[in-house]
Amino acid sequence: MRLVATPEQEQLREAVAEFCRREMTVERLRVWERGTDADEILLREQIARLGWIGLGVPSSAGGSGASLTDVAVLVAECARGLLSRSLIGAIEGATMLAALAPAEPALAAVASGDNRVAIAVEEEGVRSAQAVGSRLESGPDGMRVRGRKAYVPHAEEAELHLLVVRDGEELACVLVDASADRVSTTDLASFGGDRQAHVVYDDAPVLRRIGGAEAVQRLDRTRRALALAQMIGGMEAVVEGAVAYVQERDQFGQKIALFQAVRHQIADIGIRIAASRHLSWEAITRIDRDLLQGHELEAALAYVGRSFREACFTGHHLHGGAGFVLEHPLHFHSERAQSLAIRYAPEGPALAAIASELLD
Amino acid sequence: MDYELSSRELAWRDEVRDFISQHVDDGLADETRQRGNEGRGPRAQAFLSALKERGWWGLAWPEEYGGLGKTAIEQWIFIDEIESAGAPMLPLTATSVAPTIMRIGSEAQKKEWLPRIQAGEIEFALGYSEAEAGTDLASLQTKAELDGDEWVVSGAKMWNTMAHQATHNWLAVRTEPDAKKHKGISIVIVPMDAPGVDVQPIWVWPGLRTNALFLDNVRVPRRYLIGERGMGFYYAAMALNFERLSIGSIGMARRHFRALVDVVRSLVVDGKPLREDPWVRERLARLQVEIDAARMLGLQTAWALDQGGVPAAESSMAKIHVSELTQRIADAGCEILGLNGQLHADDPRAQAGGRMQWLYRLAPMLAFGGGTNEVQRDIVGFMGFGLPRK
Repeated sequence: MRLVATPEQEQLREAVAEFCRREMTVERLRVWERGTDADEILLREQIARLGWIGLGVPSSAGGSGASLTDVAVLVAECARGLLSRSLIGAIEGATMLAALAPAEPALAAVASGDNRVAIAVEEEGVRSAQAVGSRLESGPDGMRVRGRKAYVPHAEEAELHLLVVRDGEELACVLVDASADRVSTTDLASFGGDRQAHVVYDDAPVLRRIGGAEAVQRLDRTRRALALAQMIGGMEAVVEGAVAYVQERDQFGQKIALFQAVRHQIADIGIRIAASRHLSWEAITRIDRDLLQGHELEAALAYVGRSFREACFTGHHLHGGAGFVLEHPLHFHSERAQSLAIRYAPEGPALAAIASELLD
Repeated sequence: MDYELSSRELAWRDEVRDFISQHVDDGLADETRQRGNEGRGPRAQAFLSALKERGWWGLAWPEEYGGLGKTAIEQWIFIDEIESAGAPMLPLTATSVAPTIMRIGSEAQKKEWLPRIQAGEIEFALGYSEAEAGTDLASLQTKAELDGDEWVVSGAKMWNTMAHQATHNWLAVRTEPDAKKHKGISIVIVPMDAPGVDVQPIWVWPGLRTNALFLDNVRVPRRYLIGERGMGFYYAAMALNFERLSIGSIGMARRHFRALVDVVRSLVVDGKPLREDPWVRERLARLQVEIDAARMLGLQTAWALDQGGVPAAESSMAKIHVSELTQRIADAGCEILGLNGQLHADDPRAQAGGRMQWLYRLAPMLAFGGGTNEVQRDIVGFMGFGLPRK
């Protein structure tokens, strides 16, 4: 048992923290929440050279072949340092494609940062992979996909789309060239910084069928594991920011940290982050080793998703107006808290799954 | 990171579970419920004797004192399994008093007290609180004055649970009246049969007994002051440290939650299975998530102890979470059971063993006892996040 990061993981964290401190500013984030620019592309090249994008990609494809846990450590620190969602998305896309198809020929260009992968699962009115309606069809000129994917993060900028589709009675994962004629995207004005789009696949050609139901389940678990890592990293940043602020803010002639009412709010979010951290890493490490035993993933999603949002509300409350202005980074974390929870950690379905395990 | 128990820890868990399956049955649970804390019945005595025969009395004691030297994770496993099974827990004499004597007692004091504790000849009550010194323990006024080779102890203690069964009392008393209040306290052992000791019962809401202890010029040998004079406040804190794993354990609450879930599975309300009611499902699932979180907070404390740390903030986190969660479990349990949730365990119609209303009555004590949760939150702020005190 080891409830803390390894020395190597700590080194990685420090490197990421230093990088984010140097490169990430509120001004840059505000621009990159809506679209990319030359600076962000430059940063993507840098993190690719640092090996972050290919961390979870096999060495045969130019990556480091690190474990999902290692990638989650990286992603958590990126989220703590408010690396742009697009750059985090590049790491996630590479990791998920590698998890599903370690021998995929397209992986090398993804690990090098030249290509990006968008993950397209949800559809309008469809929140579970089990209910997707987009279909894989085979014809004389190969496999094609027909359907509409909704709220796809980074869809516009990605060169490859990894879709969950229906293949007859089975679910499947397929890889599509996003530049194909029959793929069209419509940008959405979403919050959370992951630059979503609706995507229409009108008999779009499929590069490869990546796998069946097992691949779909692996994709689902991997992206939720990485979402947990993002939530933990973001929550730690919010709590650290609140702890620092209450020790510098004077009111009524003293630091507000000296008020018990303030101290107890810190304690309450401190308890939540401690439990969240361990629930998350237990779930992540078990997904990594294929050791999930019961409802630990659902428990982590339900608890951590809510805790991150509550930590953000507490953070806003303790900062008051100082944390409410656009120049302060807190609102980026708060948007991500909600954005991540809606997609990956909705409390209702997680609780429903746990109730089913308890009662049915 | 690795959250899996080692093969040694898994083997230990299996050994504890095997012991429980052999020694815990419904009869023991019924006896424990009926007696409350009014003395141990024959089944509880037999259970504790069996624990002692296994050498588990000294589970956490160093091997040099005849203990097993179990790690904190192994102790955490033991506590969780025992509490979850509803079996009697090891007495504070073994888990708190003895380890403190081992740490701070003189060689003569160790020789005098430890073998008798190990043999089960003596049992201690812990006398810290007073009417005007609860959370603010350093304000205690019970005094001990040296008269020749004897300490003369006078004063009154409150909430001296187990005093009516104990052979001895482990008392925090003021021996240095001119010192600062934290520095003027010592630990003195007082035999309960010494002249001038009087125990009066206090009955509390969940039907349990605690006591007021009155000490009128009670004379005890000088050597009964344990450790150094004036260090008692810190020794009391040390003794509490040894209880960190028990105080934040989710085992008992999980047992009652499990009983509640079992009942919900079989109940029919308004012509429909209760388990199909959406609000019941959500309430239970939410509590399960919080129980999982509590398990993690307990594990965090145990792991930190094994790394050589003093996990004050971590154990306070566990204490706060478990005590307040127990209130929520009891509250939800009563509501889910409906009017039946009011029935006492003695009523054969009571569901879930009639324990939800009992847990509802017990739960407030968990939050204000053992160091009130306001103080625990302060500890989390100070020790966990480095917030300033002044």
